[in-house]
Amino acid sequence: MQNIGAAALFLPAIQRVGKSLKIPVSRLLMPIGFSAILGGTVTLVGSSPLILLNDLLAPFNLEPFSLFDVTPVGIALVVSGILCFVVFGRFILPKGTASEGDAESSTEIESVMEDIGEIYELKTPDDFTDFRESITVGYLRRRYLVDIVALTEAPDFKVISPGPEVEIRSNADIAVYGRENDVRRLAEKGAMIIKDNLEVFKDEFVDSASGSVEAVVAPRSPLEGKTLNQVNLQDRFRVTPLAVYRHGETYRAEIGDLVLAVGDAILLHGTWARLKILQEEKSLLFTTPVDVELLRPDKAVFAALWLIVALTMVLVFKIQLSVCLMTGALGMIINRVLSIDEAYRAVDWRTIFLLAGLIPLGIATEKTGTAAWIAHTTLDIVGTVKPVVLIALIGVLSTIFTLVISNVGATVLLVPLVVNMAIAANADPRMAALVVGLATSNSFILPTHQVNALYMGPGRYRSVDFMKAGMLVSIIFLAVMVGMIYLVYGL
Amino acid sequence: MSIITISRGSYSKGKEVAEKVAGQLGYECISREVIIEASERFKVSEAKLIKAIHDAPSIFERISQDKKTFITYIQSAFASRLKRDNIVYHGLAGHLLLKGIPHVLKIRIIAEMKDRIATEVERENINEKHARLFLLKDDKARRKWTKSLYGVDPWDSSLYDLVIHIHKLTVDNAVDFICQAATSEQFKTTEISRQKMEDLALACQIKAALLEQNFDVSVISEYGNVLVYTKASDRSVYKLEKRVKTLSREIEGINNLEVRSGMQFPPDVI
Repeated sequence: MQNIGAAALFLPAIQRVGKSLKIPVSRLLMPIGFSAILGGTVTLVGSSPLILLNDLLAPFNLEPFSLFDVTPVGIALVVSGILCFVVFGRFILPKGTASEGDAESSTEIESVMEDIGEIYELKTPDDFTDFRESITVGYLRRRYLVDIVALTEAPDFKVISPGPEVEIRSNADIAVYGRENDVRRLAEKGAMIIKDNLEVFKDEFVDSASGSVEAVVAPRSPLEGKTLNQVNLQDRFRVTPLAVYRHGETYRAEIGDLVLAVGDAILLHGTWARLKILQEEKSLLFTTPVDVELLRPDKAVFAALWLIVALTMVLVFKIQLSVCLMTGALGMIINRVLSIDEAYRAVDWRTIFLLAGLIPLGIATEKTGTAAWIAHTTLDIVGTVKPVVLIALIGVLSTIFTLVISNVGATVLLVPLVVNMAIAANADPRMAALVVGLATSNSFILPTHQVNALYMGPGRYRSVDFMKAGMLVSIIFLAVMVGMIYLVYGL
Repeated sequence: MSIITISRGSYSKGKEVAEKVAGQLGYECISREVIIEASERFKVSEAKLIKAIHDAPSIFERISQDKKTFITYIQSAFASRLKRDNIVYHGLAGHLLLKGIPHVLKIRIIAEMKDRIATEVERENINEKHARLFLLKDDKARRKWTKSLYGVDPWDSSLYDLVIHIHKLTVDNAVDFICQAATSEQFKTTEISRQKMEDLALACQIKAALLEQNFDVSVISEYGNVLVYTKASDRSVYKLEKRVKTLSREIEGINNLEVRSGMQFPPDVI
């Protein structure tokens, strides 16, 4: 998996772990982010520079690397990086406080959310429905201004976002969204028990499965002029409207009868899958993105199958890496593990255009002899050096390049250059190229790598924090890389 | 356990019926007391309040803000009084002031014109012609008042549960009918009807407080969740919102208070 994907996937989990263990998030995110970057060096498909490497070697008629050729070096790099944080972590990591850790930049929706309350789980008593008229979801909303977002029905059904007419039974578990005092009133009058934590619905209401979003009634939306009761989001989409935000006012009471106007923001709660379906209907514009990865466990078998096919092609049949991976990707699209649209969205077009510009440039420097000239000139200046020194030099050069331009760009530019240099200095040109592929992941000193950029906000890091920790990790990276290449491949 | 409102014309024996019903059921009988209570609570003279609910506005005169305020005061006093339950009210527009309350038995007592004139001649010591003129004028004024304020004709029998014509039927017959109706299941006070009464009283109280400060609003409450409707423009809405925020601390029983501007008022708003 690409390191940026892994880093994004781990972010919410790290934040929760930090919160529950009272460890500042700033002490967790950087080591994990660095490890994610280092982990990208373990296989030839872990990071963009390594994926490219074989294609860049092709013009020189050099033998391509196989998938696990870099693994020994990669593992050594990961282990040394982790050890570095274990030993020196307390000196190089910024000292934050636990409360500061979870203080993300507060957006407007968050302040509205505070106004609306949070989810509580309650249990109705045995005699809840005895000797009285049936109690419905809509009644509780009108009376206590709380939203029932889920309830259990005998024998063991769970209803998510029940409609207003749904009755609440005795001995049922209900998940209620509301302000604390309203929920307490409900519990008191209805003789319900408020549970300390979500129990029955803990899987349904984890952050990765459901949440609240703000959606705006768009111009020309079919919802304009209708009331929420008419639209009936609960029955049609299994999504509960919590509040309506209009002209700076939050409306909580009787929102069902409110005639919707263009520009009204509706706060919705539901599972991400359901919200996504509503979003795709396009009658509402979502101001908070529903970008949580939707899991499709039923497709896992196909995904695994095509991964194995691609790996087999790489390892057994020695077909070109790009062809193998493309086959895997195509297979996943055919089996609908992901849609063609998702595949398109996953393509980083900036990288494509960067490469479209840089590869011809690389070829041009090669064909015109510019690369050879730069290589010879550099070597003339440096003088005759041992291969190991040359490799170390290339490592430093790649590291410097990757700090100022993207790792892919640095790889494309440097590979033709270093191959020429290695040939001129009688060193192994494949190793020189490998060093570039690896050292362009040595991007720790500045938050230019996507993973570091992603973690900078939530971890509240400053550039100086990256310099402090990154400097040490970069030096260790270079030393371990050169050492391992020397030991494993000989030079 | 119910509330009975008796709407009547002058000299139609409605008061007598009301008092006898109250006596028979052991209920409290009120009429003027509401005005007195409103006068004491809101520090307005009784005369002003009576004028507000008695005189219909002329063709050229729109219902003034003062008049609206006074009527809201009376409604507020009325609703808080009626929270106590077991009450017979005979007076102006009781059935209209209590719209939306399920356990109110609405009675209209009418009498034969001849009988009314005879009673008036006897009491006021005037001749028959004058008495007729006075009664016709009085009836007209009351109809006009109700129409101008509530948009309904008090002579429309569909507004009532029971219309009793005192002529062949005696006052005692009327009392029997009313007592029998009052004890039937649908007019018993329930938890829901009591809550509605409380909501009405709360809405009236909030409306009175806001009208005092010249906010032209309509109010509705359900389980203490109050919605204040206004037709006002942006600037005064902002002022209203500020006032409403302090109000929710001043008045007891408010659970949530929201201001709604620029939208249609629901039909049962006060």
